[in-house]
Amino acid sequence: MTYKTEMKQLRKHRWDTIKHHPYFGFLIIVFLMFAVQLIRLLGVDVPVAVLRAFGSTMIFTIIALGFSILLGYGGLASLGTAGFVGLGSYFVVYFTNQLEFSIFLTIVAVLIVAVVLGTVVGFISLRIEGMYLAIITLGLSEILNEVFKRATALTGGTTGEGIDGIIFFKNLIAVDHNTVFIFISIVLFIIMLLTMNIMKSPTGRALLAMRNSSSAAQAMGVSIFRYRLLAFIISTVYAMLAGVLYMTYWSFTIPSTWSLGFSLNILAAVIVGGSQSIYGIILGTFMIFGLDLAVFKQIQFFVDNPAITIVLNGVLIIVVIMFYPGGLIRLVQTLGVKLKLWFQKLKKKWRDYYYGSDIE
Amino acid sequence: MINTEGFWRDVLLFILGMFVIYQILKFTVFKKIKKPAKASGIAINVMIALGILFLFLKVYLAVEIPGGGLYLILNAIFGSIVQVCVLALATTGIVLIFKTSTTTNFAQGMIATVAAFSAAKISLSIAARFPEMNMSYVVLIAMFSGALVSFLLGVFIDVVIIRQAKYPTPVGKQMITMGLVLVFTGLIPIVFGTLPLTVQKLSYADNISFTIGDSPLRYNITMHAIYSLGITIVLLVVLFSLLRFTKWGLGVRATASNEMVASMMGVNTRIITAMSWAIAGLLGGVAAVILAPISGSLQVSMMIPTQVNGFLAAILGSFTSFAGPLISTILIPILTNLMSIVTSTWQNAVVYIIILVIVLVKPSGLFGKQVAKKV
Amino acid sequence: MVPILNKLQILWYEKRIGNHQTKHDFLQSFLPIRIQELNTKKDQKLHHLSLKKSHTILPYEIKANIKSDYWQTVYEYETKKIETKYYWRLRALTQAMKRKQNKSDHWSVEEPKHLQKIQELEQKKQTELAKVKAKFVVNPSDLNKEAYASNNEAIERAYQDQLAQIETKYQNKIEQFSNRANNIIAKHKERLDYYHRKLKIAEQEKAIYPMDENVVLKLDNLSMHFGGLKAVDQLSFEVKEGEIFGLIGPNGAGKTTVFNCITRFYRPTGGLMYFRNNLGEVVRLNDIVVHDIIKEGIVRTFQNVEMIWELNVIENLLVAAHTSYRSTFFGQLFNSRLLRQEEVVMRLKATKILEDLDLSAYAYVYPYGLPYGILKKIELARTLMVNPKLIILDEPAAGLNDAETENLAETIRKIQKEYNATIFLVEHDMGLVMNICDTVCAVSFGKKLAIGTPKDIQGSKVVREAYLGGE
Repeated sequence: MTYKTEMKQLRKHRWDTIKHHPYFGFLIIVFLMFAVQLIRLLGVDVPVAVLRAFGSTMIFTIIALGFSILLGYGGLASLGTAGFVGLGSYFVVYFTNQLEFSIFLTIVAVLIVAVVLGTVVGFISLRIEGMYLAIITLGLSEILNEVFKRATALTGGTTGEGIDGIIFFKNLIAVDHNTVFIFISIVLFIIMLLTMNIMKSPTGRALLAMRNSSSAAQAMGVSIFRYRLLAFIISTVYAMLAGVLYMTYWSFTIPSTWSLGFSLNILAAVIVGGSQSIYGIILGTFMIFGLDLAVFKQIQFFVDNPAITIVLNGVLIIVVIMFYPGGLIRLVQTLGVKLKLWFQKLKKKWRDYYYGSDIE
Repeated sequence: MINTEGFWRDVLLFILGMFVIYQILKFTVFKKIKKPAKASGIAINVMIALGILFLFLKVYLAVEIPGGGLYLILNAIFGSIVQVCVLALATTGIVLIFKTSTTTNFAQGMIATVAAFSAAKISLSIAARFPEMNMSYVVLIAMFSGALVSFLLGVFIDVVIIRQAKYPTPVGKQMITMGLVLVFTGLIPIVFGTLPLTVQKLSYADNISFTIGDSPLRYNITMHAIYSLGITIVLLVVLFSLLRFTKWGLGVRATASNEMVASMMGVNTRIITAMSWAIAGLLGGVAAVILAPISGSLQVSMMIPTQVNGFLAAILGSFTSFAGPLISTILIPILTNLMSIVTSTWQNAVVYIIILVIVLVKPSGLFGKQVAKKV
Repeated sequence: MVPILNKLQILWYEKRIGNHQTKHDFLQSFLPIRIQELNTKKDQKLHHLSLKKSHTILPYEIKANIKSDYWQTVYEYETKKIETKYYWRLRALTQAMKRKQNKSDHWSVEEPKHLQKIQELEQKKQTELAKVKAKFVVNPSDLNKEAYASNNEAIERAYQDQLAQIETKYQNKIEQFSNRANNIIAKHKERLDYYHRKLKIAEQEKAIYPMDENVVLKLDNLSMHFGGLKAVDQLSFEVKEGEIFGLIGPNGAGKTTVFNCITRFYRPTGGLMYFRNNLGEVVRLNDIVVHDIIKEGIVRTFQNVEMIWELNVIENLLVAAHTSYRSTFFGQLFNSRLLRQEEVVMRLKATKILEDLDLSAYAYVYPYGLPYGILKKIELARTLMVNPKLIILDEPAAGLNDAETENLAETIRKIQKEYNATIFLVEHDMGLVMNICDTVCAVSFGKKLAIGTPKDIQGSKVVREAYLGGE
């Protein structure tokens, strides 16, 4: 008997350790994404718009995660994200259409370029801080955007450029959205793991120290030079990688996507979700990029009045920022706690009613 | 025609030369001066001025037609008057809000666009009621009623939205303005309809046309440009004298330096910030109405390039002063037009790079003061 | 030898020494932790096994005797389970009956139905109870005593084997690990000795900075000018090893500027600063970058506490140990084994420090909203994470009440004694300074007025004039 109960507890404890493991939630998210595909394979009609919404949410979550390390941990604001993501996508265009290189080679090239670019921006951030840095990176992004528009030989100009498929090893293979969807969810899982590791590691703590007070951080041996560069390199690598994924998913890129609005959207996703929580960022990104396609486009009223969806999105952002400065994740947490309490209360009431109130 | 051979090489050489000279100065002269930071700031500004002059000179020399260089340069300057006015008004609004609310207002352009749309509607209704009225008056009235709309919108945003936020941080406020951009983007087609709207020019009178010296080339300045220049100058002079000589201006400056202390000293920071939002809205509205007839029919995204340029100008001239951004707002359109003589595709990129380099050399902006950090 | 080559050589040796030292220290502190970890794992397994055994092997007397305590408890447990189950069900039925009774118009018709239901349930309960009872009334003579005993013995033997296996397995593991670790430690020690010898030889040619044996920090004509303002002017003094050194002076005397020069936040206009670092050699602080100061063994606190508000107290301490981590960025990215081991070691160290300073209650609390005195103490604790040689405290008592100041003085003394650290502080609270300092230096307008024991300073006329103004 004692043995039995103890083993029972042990099993429960094991399940608890698994449940509270930091990676468990990520696994659930990826599993859900797989489940969406499975449901579709089983013959249930999932609207294409919903699938697209999930796909782009996943891609943009990667960018937002990089941005969260930059802003939530390093305390550095940047509005140059759009330029870097666009650059990633144009790399795929150039490497596939003109050089006919494999996608793996493209990724390697993109990583190298991202590290170089991140270093450059990092050096800029050593001289300029705060809002000034944000606007200077905005300038950088505008320069990149000008290149996308004007270098017509490489990028296809203002009308944009697409790819017909991906070259894995030698031949051009037409992309299937659903295969790429699964691929993206796996990449997102890996990226979430890595981001979580960075956030919990000494590096994450050093970045937080730098964000709170650069002089105190220096007194504790944190090299501002090193960590600013690191934060920018991480975020640039994430952004350009997301650009590559974007291209494999959508197969089309156009300069007008990569403007100030996109950078602001990423910033909004991070702030609205909660700049230091991975789940919050996923929520925020879904609210900014996915809500429109996945929810509003499914309701006939909003399809008839597309302007109202934009207004609603804006109002949502404003309301969340105004009343939940910690972001959506704080809202969800408080709601969860309240729901739990409410549920317990309801349960007690029911028991009182059913078994009689004089329990005990 | 234009000979751009060796143009960029010379520019790069010039920058390199300036860098070498600066390093030499740093190790010889600045070490012995009492205030080296100030001296190096002045030196950098002189070098930047020299660099811009050098650019002008190179463009002048690149044109091979006799007298053509001067013509192209002066035309570039005259052609950018409207852009300068728009940029100056918009940037002043951005700087004003930054000073009092410590946030960059992304909705500035959108508020201005709302003003332009309402100005278009108002001018339509006025023209329908009083058909025999002079067109210039109609546009002027519409302009100021549009500006009034954006004025009220500014007050509304500050009082109803920004001030009600819990624990507002600068980034949080930024996000609120970003949400406002979305709201206005959606609201404009709902409120103003989807039919194309236009705002008339301030005047359709004959252009001022003149020649210089014996050259047969004629210079043209549109009346619209002249009127807008007049309105801008009047507005800015009034604003600066308000800032300089009134109690409100003193309050703005006090709030800008430290909001907490200012409010403790009896400055009503609420009214100050609300008024700054309102005035920023007004300036933006006027700017949008001036810009509207240039680009044809009104569009929701018409002010975005101006806004980006406004941010860059504010950085270039430093957020800490009003005069600095103003000078950079004059520089940016003129440089863009000048560069379009040399290259017709890359002018924007070149100007952005120039701004980037200048800001990297002088992080506090052209006319900003460097604040020493306390440990 | 060529000076530059010599310098490079010394740098190389120092780097090697630093490397080996950190590896050596890490392994030495990790070894007991790992052994303990393995032991607890072993104990856990043994415990489970013994539990299992105690359940399966019962002596014949107990197994056969239904009246023994064991069977009685099992019986009680089972009956109680059934009783509680039916208690709730019956209760629900009676409640429903009562509810109906008040509402129903023809209760007399319905009542028997309810009563029947209750009766049925009662019967069910009785049958189950009877079943359980039947289960536990076994005839003891059914059990063959010898067969049962031999069976038990066989099981017992198997258990013993398993126990021995586990024991030996973990013993082997521990032995292997400790052997390996000790080997590596010995190797590191050897290398350390070797490099120390080499360093000594190389250093004979190096320009040795002038400093007495027992001095830790020496300022030589330090000056710091801001434009025309001379914040520090030709200041020189020495801080001896193991003492508490106080720097006092009226407001604006340049005390904090001296600190900022020592920790390299400011670049002094003139003058030299020497420091005897953890390795026992003298370095010139003018040559060191601000974030490398901590590696030499100088840690500082700030006038207004600089906490990392998003991290809890123990993680705040870990930030200071940031330089002691050996795992690379990629190691951290993939959460490598080394990182996890280092994290354990550092966390234990931090816990120990927190215990020493009576802060263990706050270990997992976020610093936001803690009292100021506690925050100051946490900052002090943070300085101890790197085995500091010299701790610089910038106005530690500012903003504290009397009791907290008293507590702080005790803590500072404790640190000085238990962690063998020299303490150098700037303070306005004269009571604290005179209470704890061994040597006090008074400055005014960047110039040294007097230096000596607290008593000397109290008696000094110059100091009094500087504070209260001339006659």
